Amino acid sequence: MIAQQLVNGIVTGSVYALFALGFTLIFGTFKILNLAHAGVFMSGAFIGYFAVLNGLPLWLALVLAMIGSGLISYIVELGAFATIRGSGQIEFGALISSIGANLCLMSLGQRLSNTKVLRFPFETFPVEFYEFGPVRFSFLQVIILLVVVVLLMAMMFYLYKTSFGRQIRAVSGNERVASLLGVNPGLVYFQTFFISGALAGVAGIMIGLSFNSIHFYMGEPYLLKAFVVVVLGGLGSVHGAVVAGMLLGIFQNLAVAYLPSALTETIIYGLLFVVLLVKPSGLFGSEGVQVGVARR
Amino acid sequence: MMNLVYTYQPLFDYFLLAVGFAYSQQMVLRAGVFSIGSAGFASIGAYFVAIVVKDHGMNAIVALLIATLLGCVGGFLLSIPLARLRGVFQAIATLAFVQIVVSLCLYFDELTGGPQGFNNIPKLVGTWHLLAAVLVTIYFMYVISRSAIGRAFDALRQDETVGATLGISIRKYHMIAFVLSGALAGFFGGMQSLYTFSIEPEMFGFTFLVAALTYIILGGRGTVTGPIIGALIMSVLPELARPLADNRQFFQGILMMVMIAFMPHGVFDGLVLHLRKRRAAARDKLFKEAH
Repeated sequence: MIAQQLVNGIVTGSVYALFALGFTLIFGTFKILNLAHAGVFMSGAFIGYFAVLNGLPLWLALVLAMIGSGLISYIVELGAFATIRGSGQIEFGALISSIGANLCLMSLGQRLSNTKVLRFPFETFPVEFYEFGPVRFSFLQVIILLVVVVLLMAMMFYLYKTSFGRQIRAVSGNERVASLLGVNPGLVYFQTFFISGALAGVAGIMIGLSFNSIHFYMGEPYLLKAFVVVVLGGLGSVHGAVVAGMLLGIFQNLAVAYLPSALTETIIYGLLFVVLLVKPSGLFGSEGVQVGVARR
Repeated sequence: MMNLVYTYQPLFDYFLLAVGFAYSQQMVLRAGVFSIGSAGFASIGAYFVAIVVKDHGMNAIVALLIATLLGCVGGFLLSIPLARLRGVFQAIATLAFVQIVVSLCLYFDELTGGPQGFNNIPKLVGTWHLLAAVLVTIYFMYVISRSAIGRAFDALRQDETVGATLGISIRKYHMIAFVLSGALAGFFGGMQSLYTFSIEPEMFGFTFLVAALTYIILGGRGTVTGPIIGALIMSVLPELARPLADNRQFFQGILMMVMIAFMPHGVFDGLVLHLRKRRAAARDKLFKEAH
């Protein structure tokens, strides 16, 4: 029983991590909370759904969803954040304008789906189960875990081993100095938002496939979970988001099995509250991250 | 004429409730506290009033007063731990608080009715009560904005360090902002539950807090008139644009992005600032001509 919940938890957690990673990447780089991430996540699921519906194979749908939601994420950047950059109120303004962008995306999704829950056609994904002793898992879970691990490794490589990654991290440190040193900030904005959106798009398809339900409102619960994940892992910390996402997934699955389900949410958000008070920089946040703690 | 009044009365009532919640949200923002916890206090007030009035037959006025007091106490309790946090971190912590309240309302379903909501609340509040409550609140907000508390809030919002060097206790005034905001939210939450017949936990969740923020951003953060203008725009706009009714959310979203980009201070505050600048420019010109 526990082993089964652990396996389920790791799979759920890896999707949380994928979603939260894009969110934390943008916060870490530009210090803004992108609430439209939920809308981008939903668009990924929608693009994948319509691609499958038009007879494309699933892997192609996945690639299309990544590119599509990456571009949508960049459009959000242009519409909601580029306009207020430099106004001196970015922290407050970004929250509002990303809520606005999220509303736009959600209402587009609502129109596209006629407020209905969309389902992938039967047999989009082969339903197969494997059993190892007491643990039973599906082919889908294996694929999800595989895709997430590959994407995470690719992103780590990109961020920490390539010149582009160094540029992103340079801009996150100090945009002015970075641009003086020859980094093109516009390109960094594009890359960061594209990557973040692409990750959210993959997460959207994964969630759509595993629950076989896609609707315009699907992003919000994951956005709220993403807050927990990124604070727990340290706002802006990439490794932290991965570990915290896994932990949250495992915890949630265990709690659902052994505790009343409504109380699970209370405990999770209670945990978020406590972590914010005790260690606002999170489990893995570096000490250098400015956490906005009051001057004493 | 009477027909027109009856058609738009519910709209007007919702506008009044919106103004109430907008003031609760404005109170904290004004002091430079980035709390979005009003939804939680409104939920507490609404459920308290609904339960004691319907199940225990308590007098509505007494219930509303206690709901206000509960909001105060809630605000006070929340302000103690949150004194350490600023900005985005404060926003996330208060969001966690709102989610905790929502999930507790869902969990204690024997008391609150859970996801089905709490129904058949006696309707004891009409348009006139709401109007009176909002007018009193406007007066209250005006008085505060003209008092030492309001000036301290303004100073802290603009620059905390400067405020502290001028001898304003950050901790104390942030606590006052939390308490007042909680009181307003608790009171109007109670009013809402006595107005709408039924309440449910999700009513006071993420959507609620987004709406309250929108009113403030649209209208303005620093003036008493701002939230009224914001709530008015958001209530009237969908009526004016009936052909756009299906796309209401879409246009609300676009509007929010455009507003924050071009009028970062809100419609009313932006106008006031603009006029003030023009007057100052005219005065400078006169001054130069005279010398």
